[in-house]
Amino acid sequence: MSRWVKWMAVAAAGLVCTQAAAQSRYPGVGRTATPAEIAAWDIDVRADFKGLPPGSGSVSRGEAVWEAKCASCHGSFGESNMFFPPIIGGTRAEDIVRGRVEALARPGEQRSTLMKLSQISTLWDYINRAMPFNAPKTLTADEVYALTAYILNQGDVVPANFVLTERNMAEVQQRLPNRNGLTRDHGLWETRGRPDVKAFACMANCGPEPRIVSQLPDHARGSHGDLAAQNRLIGPVRGVSLTQGAPAAAAVAAAPAARDPARDLAEKSGCLACHGAKQRVVGPALAEIAAKYRNDGGAEARLVAKVKSGGQGVWGNVPMPPSQLQEQDLRTLVRWILNTH
Amino acid sequence: MADPMRIRATVRDGVVNVKVLMSHEMETGQRKDAAGKLVPAHYIRSVSATYQGKTVLSAQWGPAIAKNPYLEFSFKGGQKGDKVVVTWEDNKGEKRSDEATIS
Repeated sequence: MSRWVKWMAVAAAGLVCTQAAAQSRYPGVGRTATPAEIAAWDIDVRADFKGLPPGSGSVSRGEAVWEAKCASCHGSFGESNMFFPPIIGGTRAEDIVRGRVEALARPGEQRSTLMKLSQISTLWDYINRAMPFNAPKTLTADEVYALTAYILNQGDVVPANFVLTERNMAEVQQRLPNRNGLTRDHGLWETRGRPDVKAFACMANCGPEPRIVSQLPDHARGSHGDLAAQNRLIGPVRGVSLTQGAPAAAAVAAAPAARDPARDLAEKSGCLACHGAKQRVVGPALAEIAAKYRNDGGAEARLVAKVKSGGQGVWGNVPMPPSQLQEQDLRTLVRWILNTH
Repeated sequence: MADPMRIRATVRDGVVNVKVLMSHEMETGQRKDAAGKLVPAHYIRSVSATYQGKTVLSAQWGPAIAKNPYLEFSFKGGQKGDKVVVTWEDNKGEKRSDEATIS
């Protein structure tokens, strides 16, 4: 009875309270997101440019930002295919006129981002949410406009004196080399003549609820290490920890452990995006670094200098970008790496 | 005629850093096409860069260099606002010359 009364009150009190009711319906599961949290997550830019913040960026400004933050992995002209597929290349003036990239139809051709891109909003949104790799979401809106303009200029889509703003994005869209390149006439998989991308969402009477009939066997758990530690830490990491054996044990281990300030610092500074504790991700594992310099007295000072100025070559070709941290914080980090791994 | 090169030249402390991206097929002459026929060799044989008429880099290249070659070099004594000219010539005798202003 009291429950019924509560539901009525909730129904009358609007959206916020409905969410509160959802909470009480599933006690202990989640909480209502605050408006600030929603605003921080709601950064997507749609193909009709809804969500695009006001701003502007010129090609020349983009070139400066590119050289500083992007060129170490993507190459000065966006041409490098060393770590990622090239961003620029393979598009021609005829493709811009036609809106289809001819080279995509040739088998064996190296594909670049600009060859495949069909919506300019996607490029803007991707740079904005995911780049630079080691410090995503650090670019200002103007820098993202500038970088987008630079990439378009390198592909000869816009002239060298071009300034991209939220108002002329739609015009640029009309010049994208592969703007007419999307097709839904083929499936992602072998689909016996019926493309799987032409499915529809079932909203009612959708048949029986799915039942989980298999799960990862115990011997396979942990074969890839702690996935949570290998993820870039943006928001909470979902899923169970696979290093802890059975799921029940994982739940116990997930109870709040004592926080290590140095680890928090490493997490906040983006180190763990490329360095796993035990596993090699993009850069060497922290344990590998600690093992290499275990009996080296001068290693601390050298590594502090290295993290500060960036480096490449000791553990492979992938460059580590220079850190913006203070000397004191760098020393804390290096000590933490060397002493606790 | 081949596509233009992309050249970027910047000066810092009297040293000019030049980055060049050339657009060239760079066929080795050892690859076969889908019909099993050899694709004829077509690669850049010589590259040179001049600053105020003086050669600052000259190189002899061969088929071991990748498609769309990227070249980076630096030389001393360049001034801002001057031009650097880069030229290549391939084994079919095709030539291409482009210039960039040092910034």
